[in-house]
Amino acid sequence: MTSLRISDLTLHAKQTTLVDGASTQLNAGELVVLLGPNGAGKTSLIRGALGLVQPTSGRSEIDGQAVSSLSPTERAQRVSYLPQIRPLAWPNRVSDVVALGRFSHGATIGRLSDADQAAVDAAISACDLTHLKDRSADTLSGGELARMHCARAFAANAPLLVADEPIAALDPRHQFRILDLIKTYVDQGGGALLVLHDIDLAARHASRLIWMKDGRIVADGTVEKTLNAERLAEVYGVSATVSESGIIMQGAL
Amino acid sequence: MSASKPKTELASRASLLERALIPCLLAACAITLFLSCLLGSTPLPPDRVLAALFGGADVGDRLVVWSIRLPRALTAFLVGAALGLSGAALQGLLRNPLAEPGVLGVSASASLAATFSIFYGLVALSPWALPLAAIIGALAATALLALAAIRTQSVITLILIGVGLSSFAGALMSLMMNLAPNPFSLADMINWMLGSVANRSFNDIGFAAPFLIAGAAILLLTRRGLSALTLGEEAASGIGVNLRNQRIFTVLGAGLATGASVALAGAIGFVGIVAPHVIRPFTRHDPARSLIPSALFAGLILMLADILVRILPSQSELKLGVVAALIGAPAFVWIAMQRRAAHD
Repeated sequence: MTSLRISDLTLHAKQTTLVDGASTQLNAGELVVLLGPNGAGKTSLIRGALGLVQPTSGRSEIDGQAVSSLSPTERAQRVSYLPQIRPLAWPNRVSDVVALGRFSHGATIGRLSDADQAAVDAAISACDLTHLKDRSADTLSGGELARMHCARAFAANAPLLVADEPIAALDPRHQFRILDLIKTYVDQGGGALLVLHDIDLAARHASRLIWMKDGRIVADGTVEKTLNAERLAEVYGVSATVSESGIIMQGAL
Repeated sequence: MSASKPKTELASRASLLERALIPCLLAACAITLFLSCLLGSTPLPPDRVLAALFGGADVGDRLVVWSIRLPRALTAFLVGAALGLSGAALQGLLRNPLAEPGVLGVSASASLAATFSIFYGLVALSPWALPLAAIIGALAATALLALAAIRTQSVITLILIGVGLSSFAGALMSLMMNLAPNPFSLADMINWMLGSVANRSFNDIGFAAPFLIAGAAILLLTRRGLSALTLGEEAASGIGVNLRNQRIFTVLGAGLATGASVALAGAIGFVGIVAPHVIRPFTRHDPARSLIPSALFAGLILMLADILVRILPSQSELKLGVVAALIGAPAFVWIAMQRRAAHD
């Protein structure tokens, strides 16, 4: 079973502390949501955990192997990373973009092996993109783009998925569709770490919540244990009521 | 089922076009190379050119074909191919259709070193002085950029360093022209800066070839990462691209190829922008797949431009670089104006 484990990870940019002594883990079969206000260090934590930036101190390991000792391809075969969505540089075809998900397996787009092609086709149909696969990506709507990037991440067939705000700027229906896709991935044995800003959605879908504030992990546990009015006040600075039926925000504190 | 049939046909026709692209370009290049041997101040009929190419014909014809026209046309092709390949690779790396060797200051630095060798009369010492200087200039600029590529995460920084290099090289070149000791060396420098493939020999090609081949090999071997960069740097490193190595190899490969092209023909601009721009829609906008067709197409453009230069009736022969810029600069402005601000 694949797991990503960070211990006492600290990250600095010049004088600023971005992440301060963070320890947590992501296991196969769980859907973990990373919560925290803007600037809490969520993206930095992810980048440090994946070895995309060199941490000041601390360790990050995939299955007991230090991430820094893995080559970028080896790492990408174990963890699919979906950063915040940026526009594509060129108006590529949807199927070609999804095929890029096979990069770590040595795929060359335009000349895919049978195994690569099968993975790409499976990801395309799982994300309901079959009718769009020959379209140019710059003609897609926001929801379709998000699905295309999800398909790209799934095509890698990596046991873990880390996604930074995969549902930002989507309407509620598309938010649900993306989360459903990720849930299916987790049900099939994958492990997913998501950064979300919608606490209500996070509470509904997550098997665990990690709460961050000012570069520190302030809480890490199940929804029942960590989600309450005091925590929302502490982490987000909002007054809210938490009940069975959901969270109601009343305003800034 | 029947409703999906036209779509499949359309898709297979598109891929047929993609597959036919390289063979078509190769054929066009071969035909143009042959045309280059026919046309000139004294036109030769095809049968005499064919005879000269395959060892027959009289000494005069053989001399014209083997010593003048063929090396000249081949130089135009190689210079164009080097610039088209470098341009396509740099555009993929920098994710910007306006990038080309000129943007990174490599052409300017190579030209500066060449001008330097003319100014100090080094060219009189050895016929190799000038090509060698151009390649040293390109490698110096490339080394600086490679160092910067290790230190910085930002592509914008690389472009800005290139702009700085270009301006500085331009200023030093102006200074040398300003201080030129005599009208002859001034004329030499101007010749070099305008760019031309006239009077090139197989020796010249042979000297530039190792650098050209090395640069092209590096670019072609590392082109897969350029496709991945379509997603942006963060996502590209997410799917397994070693960003630092990708930057170093692309910059180094483009530097070597560009240095070799400047060594052969001086500064010739804009082919490196125009050729990839035309080719890209035929390769599904994939930077990696556009490298070889862009190189062939840029070589074709320069061979055609050189034929034009030779047959245009004019007092003194037009310089290839001037013609390339006359066609290329308006195209550059047009491409820039088509760009949507949202992409950056």
